[in-house]
Amino acid sequence: MTLNRTRRALGAAAAASGLALALAGCSLEGVDTGSEASADELSTVEGEISFATLELSSNPDLAKYIEDTIAAFEDEYPGTEVEWIDVPFAGAQEKFAADAAAGNLPDVVNMNPNFAQPLEREGVFMDIDQADPELASEYVEGAWKGFQVPGTEGTFGVPWYLTSEVTMYNADLYEKAGLDPDDAPETFEELYEDAAAISKAGAGAYYGLHPALENRFLTDLAKIGVPLIDEDLVWTFNTPEAVEHVEMLAEMYQSGVFPADSVTQTLNDAKEGYQAGTVAVFPSGPNFLNGIEQNAPQVFENTRVAPQIAAEGEPINMSVMGLLIPKTSENKGTALAFTKFITNAENQLAFSKVAPVLPSVTEALEDPFFQDDSDGTELSKAIKLSANGLERAENLTPVQYDDQVKNAVLAKIQLALTGELSATDALDQAVEAANEITGGGE
Amino acid sequence: MRPRRILTPWVLMAPALAVALIFHVVPFFRTVQLSFTDFRLASGGQYVGLENFGALATSDVFWLSAGNTLLYVVVVVPLLVVLPLLLAMLVQPKIPGMSFFRASFYTPVIASMVVVGLIWVFLLKERGPVNWLFQTLSIVQEPLPFLTDGTLLLFSCMLVTVWKGLGFYMVIYLTALANVPGELHEAAQVDGAGGIRRFWSVTVPSVRPTMLLVGVLSAIAAMKVYAEIFVIAGPTAGPGGTVRSLVFTIREVGSGFDGQVGYAAAMSLVLFVFTIGLTVALQKLSRENVEA
Repeated sequence: MTLNRTRRALGAAAAASGLALALAGCSLEGVDTGSEASADELSTVEGEISFATLELSSNPDLAKYIEDTIAAFEDEYPGTEVEWIDVPFAGAQEKFAADAAAGNLPDVVNMNPNFAQPLEREGVFMDIDQADPELASEYVEGAWKGFQVPGTEGTFGVPWYLTSEVTMYNADLYEKAGLDPDDAPETFEELYEDAAAISKAGAGAYYGLHPALENRFLTDLAKIGVPLIDEDLVWTFNTPEAVEHVEMLAEMYQSGVFPADSVTQTLNDAKEGYQAGTVAVFPSGPNFLNGIEQNAPQVFENTRVAPQIAAEGEPINMSVMGLLIPKTSENKGTALAFTKFITNAENQLAFSKVAPVLPSVTEALEDPFFQDDSDGTELSKAIKLSANGLERAENLTPVQYDDQVKNAVLAKIQLALTGELSATDALDQAVEAANEITGGGE
Repeated sequence: MRPRRILTPWVLMAPALAVALIFHVVPFFRTVQLSFTDFRLASGGQYVGLENFGALATSDVFWLSAGNTLLYVVVVVPLLVVLPLLLAMLVQPKIPGMSFFRASFYTPVIASMVVVGLIWVFLLKERGPVNWLFQTLSIVQEPLPFLTDGTLLLFSCMLVTVWKGLGFYMVIYLTALANVPGELHEAAQVDGAGGIRRFWSVTVPSVRPTMLLVGVLSAIAAMKVYAEIFVIAGPTAGPGGTVRSLVFTIREVGSGFDGQVGYAAAMSLVLFVFTIGLTVALQKLSRENVEA
């Protein structure tokens, strides 16, 4: 009897402790948003801060650059200390989400606008416009706007490094198709004509273009002037121009201009296709040239670059990486000083010399480094083209276009490409699905 | 019995209990709790009663996911119960070189699902080896769209699940077959039973409990299918998102800063109930078979 009672008591204790533990972790609160910085806090530059980047340490030159820049900051501001944390890209969102929920985000965080937007909507990050009203004028306008949410005030991050794609194409495949490799496509019409000619010549062995819907569908719509989302955050890209565009994509897919399996493939497949020499044109940032050189030297030899394609008068696309300061930071002054330091003209220029990215400060862009393509390499030509395009470049992907919205939209567009839905229906359903997810129009 | 002797087993079990509590019991309770909220990672949440379950009941995406998951179980489980048994019988004889085949069949089990998926994507491309073979043998005139047609995509995913699972269940069957007394086969042979007759009258009854175990394990695995679909059908789950499973949808709606965690938790709970129901049904079937 005693033994049974003891067993029951222990069992009950175990169950109770389990339940207690379960309930202890059962908060239904969202992220810890902290508070805006006071003028005193912002003027105090001392103490320790943590600085999180996204997968930069794998490149030894970049790692050294970051370490040297941190050391230079600590020298310039005695009494400060910066702890560098490099987070792998895969799983970074989950890590930052957990940190944000615990009010434990690093003092300076490297994110792109889409990554940061859901947290910003909750007011997690410091308003940079408020903290330093003069700062905006030093940065590329389109990049600065990348950290603004339509319909709300303020800017929640400082742009750091930028990439703006150029049109990369395989001159060998152009020649094989009887096209002039020195006559790069300048408009979407020319691009699609070239693609059709190359795919026809390739007869299944190689193709002119991969649709890479995941990466290009929405930004291509913006580049032909289709409005994607309005001020009330209602998705609006089911316009007649978009219908025409989707009809053309469907026609190209069904007539074999794109690889047969490309409709369900990702950007990686498009990259691999270009590197394997089975896809002739691949729009990408200059940094991709290093990857081609390493993985496919033969294709690299044949690669030529040309300006990014967009319709006349429409913006071109750029990707923005920024630095954000959570309001939970205990050293907001140091965090802001460090953000300004690492994004200043001198440090960004040094960064661009280590990695083929563009600086977000206009002063750095004026450096001859971005205009000097006298070495005749495609990399320097790509950097020049990319830098010169920044004036009309914007982050064309709306911050609300997260993975869930993207998959819902692309699932419908895929049906249009395979001919199971008309372009009009596909776009209408895509817009409806996107609005349903983001609550557009509610 | 002295208290120390009563406590000893608990002390020894404490680490395992702690792990179970932290990684299984607490997350389970948390999932149950979240399923009654509109929790999102960034904004938090509030209790909404049965709202999530009501939304599930009227969601086309949920029913599509549930239907695909059920179809997956219905197709994959019988194949994974029967094929590994046949394979085990094939590699059971102790003849030189057989261990090579056993190891070969087991290799997909230890390979990463992503790697296996990518291999099959290559094999099933419109201009891939499988279509080349079919066309060369004049089985089809035009290449089959294994990776772009909604229906074929689902069966392509099932093919990968079956191929990857064969080796694992084969090993389970090998153990069971080793325990079938040789005398039973000899006696049946003396009575004039051929190979097929001995398979039905001796082998199958002897390994029936193992077949039920394989049925339960493969059913649970099929209910949780995700990686095959993501790798083969892509992040949209095929054109129109028609190839999605329940776990695929749970991950899609629940992940990211802005994920609808409460809604995803409700879906997880429904999946849990489905899985428990299936397991109980199979166990009941097992008991009835034993009693019979």
